[in-house]
Amino acid sequence: MNDMGVALELLGIGMVTVFTILALVVILGNLIIRFVNRFIPEIEKVSARAGQTVSYEISQKKMAVIVSAVNKLTKGTGRVNKIEKL
Amino acid sequence: MGILENLYKMTAFQDIFNNPGYLLMLAIGAFLLYLGIRKQYEPLLLVPIAFGVILANLPGGQMGVVSADLINLEGGHTKNLLEIAHDYGIMNFLYYSLIKTGFLPPIIFMGIGALTDFGPMLRNLKLAFFGAAAQLGIFVVLISAIALGFTAKEAASLGIIGGADGPTAIYTTIKLAPHLLGPIAIAAYSYMALVPVIIPLVVRFTCTKKELLINMKEMDKKYPPNLKIKNLKAVKIAFPIVLGIVVSIFVPSSVPLLGMLLFGNLIKEIGANVARLSEAATGSILNTATIFLGLTVGATMTAQVFLDFKTIMIVVGGFLAFAISIFGGIMAVKITNLFNKKKINPLIGATGLSAVPMASRVANDIALKHDSSNHILQYCMSSNISGVIGSAVAAGVLISFLQ
Repeated sequence: MNDMGVALELLGIGMVTVFTILALVVILGNLIIRFVNRFIPEIEKVSARAGQTVSYEISQKKMAVIVSAVNKLTKGTGRVNKIEKL
Repeated sequence: MGILENLYKMTAFQDIFNNPGYLLMLAIGAFLLYLGIRKQYEPLLLVPIAFGVILANLPGGQMGVVSADLINLEGGHTKNLLEIAHDYGIMNFLYYSLIKTGFLPPIIFMGIGALTDFGPMLRNLKLAFFGAAAQLGIFVVLISAIALGFTAKEAASLGIIGGADGPTAIYTTIKLAPHLLGPIAIAAYSYMALVPVIIPLVVRFTCTKKELLINMKEMDKKYPPNLKIKNLKAVKIAFPIVLGIVVSIFVPSSVPLLGMLLFGNLIKEIGANVARLSEAATGSILNTATIFLGLTVGATMTAQVFLDFKTIMIVVGGFLAFAISIFGGIMAVKITNLFNKKKINPLIGATGLSAVPMASRVANDIALKHDSSNHILQYCMSSNISGVIGSAVAAGVLISFLQ
């Protein structure tokens, strides 16, 4: 009977906690989106990193795709030093 | 004659004749291997678990995990790892160092985090609530199991199967009822593999055709979301950091699982700069952890432990926990639809339990069967991913109250 009391208590506390945490997920997600939309709204242009020479400005998304492709093909041993339009 | 007698004693025949339960366990191990290899039910985990069952039930092989009573010494002390390895073999060494300490499930969660994309959830944040409703099965089965004679700790370990998350079920069971680890892990992973059967079954009894035809993209066009994400990458990097800190304040006991999940996710989202960490988390580390987890969990299923009435109750209770969790998610959508103009397809609620991404794929297939243009995968993924967070939080609540 004592265990049953604990179980009923856990049903209440457990479901309330799970709903609260997921409500927090929703609230925090919204807050982060609003913050990012306001202060970092656009994808920054990537400037050349140390040891890298990028001959023209390229979007971060394209850069990430190129770096990821090179990483995959070379199994992490290759580096992007220069990107040129052909 | 003496030589023959010695030869006979060297073999395991006498043990098998004395305890035919070994043969039954070997048959169960072979059946699980069949499900993993031939039927491809969660083969990455079911194959190591099944082989662990076989290894544990080869008499004289010293590969079965022994009861913690044999490890505990007087005065609250336990044997050290060298003594465990010496007295009970390497499987017990692995079990007591990697599983009993709760080491492997968070490591696996890190890998899962690095494989998870929070993008669909961030794009459809409101749907994350259904991941909470779908934890209902955990607590309903907890109550039912206590009514059937399980202790509170055992009932909680049984109920957590309803979270549909293997590592969470294992972690909770290690903490609360380690003697039930084998059957609970088997039940959890078997039902996860049976998601393509269980979700359609529950949906058939709870949803009307009209509800299943609700087209989410049309609803989005009719009632567009208020908030658009202008820089998804930045949001995805900030999200695991902020969420991890906030959740750890509310439910500290969920940190080992959730913290590692969010860390794994962060290294994935940072991208090329830490690609090696992400590759390690999703590759060699996750694969190694999976092998040891599967083998040691399987090795807990010795004939003495598994052939028990409680095992049957766990198998039945696990199914009910799963089904009630799916039912809870569907009902939450139906209640929401009563008050909102923007209707939601109840299949999205059905995916509120974890089992990522299989639950979403199954729900999407059901939606497409009713309307070939109704692609709901990305919406399902929202509640599906929030279900992972929900089940880890539920596990944290159970552990902090019962341990």
